[in-house]
Amino acid sequence: MRRAYLHFTRFPVQRKVVELPELTGRPFALVEEVRGQRRVAFASTTALKAGVRPGMTLTAATALEPVLRHFPYRPEDEARALTALGEALMGLAPGFQLSAPDGLWLDAGAAHLVGGEEQLGARALESCAELGYRAHAVVASEAFTSRALARYGARRVEVVPPGEGARALAPLPLAALEGPEGAAFSALGLSTLGEVAALPAAAVTARGGAAGARAHARCRGEDDTPFVAAVLEEVLEERVVLDWPAESFEPLRFALKTLTDRLGARLSGRRRAAVRLTFTLKLDPAGQVRVPLTLARPTAQAKLLLDLARHRLEEQRLENPVAEVSARVDEHSEDRGQQLALGDAPEGDAALEVVLSRLVTTLGEESLFAAGLETVHRPEAAHGTRAFRPPERKRGLAVDGLEAGRRNDVGGWNDADSPLDAGSRNDVVPRVGRERPSRLLAAPAWLDAEVAESGRLLAARLGGKRHRVTALAGPERLGGEWWSDAPYQRDYYRVHFEGLGPAWVFRDARDGRFYLQGLFD
Amino acid sequence: MSAAEQRVGAVGSVVEQLREKIRALQAAPRRYLAVLRTGMEAVDALLPSGGFPLGQAVELCGEAASGRTSLALRAVAAAHREERLCAWVDGPRELYPPAAAALGVDLERLLIVRPKAPEQRVWAAVQLARSGAFACVVLDLTRGVGSTGRMSRVALAEARKLADAAERGGGLLLVLTSPESPADGVMRLRTEARDGEGWSVEVVRSRQGGTGARAELPWSVLYPELGLEDGGRVLDVVEAAEDATPDFLREQAGALRNGCGILGQRPGRDASMPSLREGLDAAGVAH
Repeated sequence: MRRAYLHFTRFPVQRKVVELPELTGRPFALVEEVRGQRRVAFASTTALKAGVRPGMTLTAATALEPVLRHFPYRPEDEARALTALGEALMGLAPGFQLSAPDGLWLDAGAAHLVGGEEQLGARALESCAELGYRAHAVVASEAFTSRALARYGARRVEVVPPGEGARALAPLPLAALEGPEGAAFSALGLSTLGEVAALPAAAVTARGGAAGARAHARCRGEDDTPFVAAVLEEVLEERVVLDWPAESFEPLRFALKTLTDRLGARLSGRRRAAVRLTFTLKLDPAGQVRVPLTLARPTAQAKLLLDLARHRLEEQRLENPVAEVSARVDEHSEDRGQQLALGDAPEGDAALEVVLSRLVTTLGEESLFAAGLETVHRPEAAHGTRAFRPPERKRGLAVDGLEAGRRNDVGGWNDADSPLDAGSRNDVVPRVGRERPSRLLAAPAWLDAEVAESGRLLAARLGGKRHRVTALAGPERLGGEWWSDAPYQRDYYRVHFEGLGPAWVFRDARDGRFYLQGLFD
Repeated sequence: MSAAEQRVGAVGSVVEQLREKIRALQAAPRRYLAVLRTGMEAVDALLPSGGFPLGQAVELCGEAASGRTSLALRAVAAAHREERLCAWVDGPRELYPPAAAALGVDLERLLIVRPKAPEQRVWAAVQLARSGAFACVVLDLTRGVGSTGRMSRVALAEARKLADAAERGGGLLLVLTSPESPADGVMRLRTEARDGEGWSVEVVRSRQGGTGARAELPWSVLYPELGLEDGGRVLDVVEAAEDATPDFLREQAGALRNGCGILGQRPGRDASMPSLREGLDAAGVAH
């Protein structure tokens, strides 16, 4: 099976620099606890130049480089970051397998879709560079060949044709074996994998046993390690533990950037777009704050997510410092992307999202909505509320083609006597809406009415003023819902009140009284 | 000409057509929206720029039912025809979406904002207009019909803020107010319901000129089926309450049916049946 190995040189160091850009070019080390001693696990390039080496105690490292900054090394965080990176690359490969702490294999079986294996490697490196990581990529048939060449080879992208593993591995040093076998071969005076491969197999097995035989086979380009694709998590969640509890928003900003970058990369790798997210802030020593975020237009853009998150969280008033931030995608949809036309701002709908988020924060989620029509006869129940998800604008050639097609489909549907130009309106408007008032009272208001003996409405008192009826049209009888607890039977009149204007008034058959329901404003 | 040559010719012509189309698209000026037309020529002619100008705040001031909302809805519909987004800050919570849809408003592209506190209305409108994501923002500052209490007036500073937001966002900001509490400092159109026949619009304040221009229009322009001309037309229903109401809606359901007893039977031997003639007369009046 063809697979590509991506090797990120000192991945934990790269990750730290991506998360804290201020560390670029500074000496720092990641430190782990080994038998009660703090030892350097990874060191930055500047620290390495100063003589700091992995395995050194922190005291010795600080003696070599007094300004050395150090951070705890958490393998589980590295694995999570690596998984996020693998998911981000799923647009190029159907699966990935982690090789902690600093590499991963990609399934190169679908390389022909991106233009060949060389292209696959190049594009994977490009994607990583966008996220801030530098890597080496090698495509080969065996797990060992690809990994050893990526780690110890010289080229950034290399493709080893099937069956040529041994030749590609031959110039690599013995260190590429990464095990005790390397020491044994070195004791024999060998220095490259090619020399190991040239040894007779029987002799190696007799002296080195099973482990020796395996190392020998690998050097000959034979490796049957299976590819086990990582199982994707159902829930898209990211978590960042702050190095120390944050009192202000500034440290949180970097944590949020890490979170949204990873979530964005994972979403776009899965070709999904976030619709609803929840940010959880764990406080120190106790407490938790949850901040939901709903997007009007689903997106996987990390920058937009970061803007929105920052805006939502900036306004939070917290009692305690923040110790941990996590973000979870509660709902996601298919990512159709956004088509920008020439002259559009590159951020697209960012302005819309930002203003919506600001309004939601201040007014509450239930204050913002889009209306929708319901198939209900009772006038006050004929509309409902929906989430505001405006459709995309269609542009350029697409809009012409679609409009032409729809015009052909619709044909005679547009009613020609429409007050607006009927040609431009494609949707069929219900005729009944044309004699409905533009303002409808939430609940019908009882009308202090003067009624003639014949039952005709003469005048009404509204807001302390008497309004004479100058014109009256109707009735339009609406009734129904006799099957429910609240049936209705109303005679609607369109009434023109002097000094007020036309209004929609009904006489309820249940009590015979007049009610004001709407205004033809 | 062989079949293959014909096919090549057809493909060539299709490609040529497509090329022509692309050329036309590139040559066409970018659709740039400068005004929102109401679609009513008389009203559009009143406005100096031939419609509601984008990038400005305009006040529509009038009584409770004088056509302000319909004018605003038409501006929104004009923006929706260009597939732009609009927002409606609905202070009194009275906007009726089915009527809006009938006027051509695309409900999916209309964000309705209903702030709970009255003082948040202007703030919300300023935010929406300033963002530039909406081509038209309507701020409804009127008071609901049933509500009581004093209406707060839009102060000069707030009006300045609104105008500034509209200018910065490049969209139209329509402010709906009532004559008791008009807004200051923005272009004002006064709408008035005259009688059952029609209504009028007048430019009361405008920096671009045209102050005092006035148009009178029939109601049928806004509501084609309102039917209030000449005092309206009433379908004369004889005492509807007795006959038309289904029995199950009445209080004592079984007591009155056709003026007789239960199931329309004679109440007893001594009472006489109601005369058939009376019923026929009544029916004659009805139709």
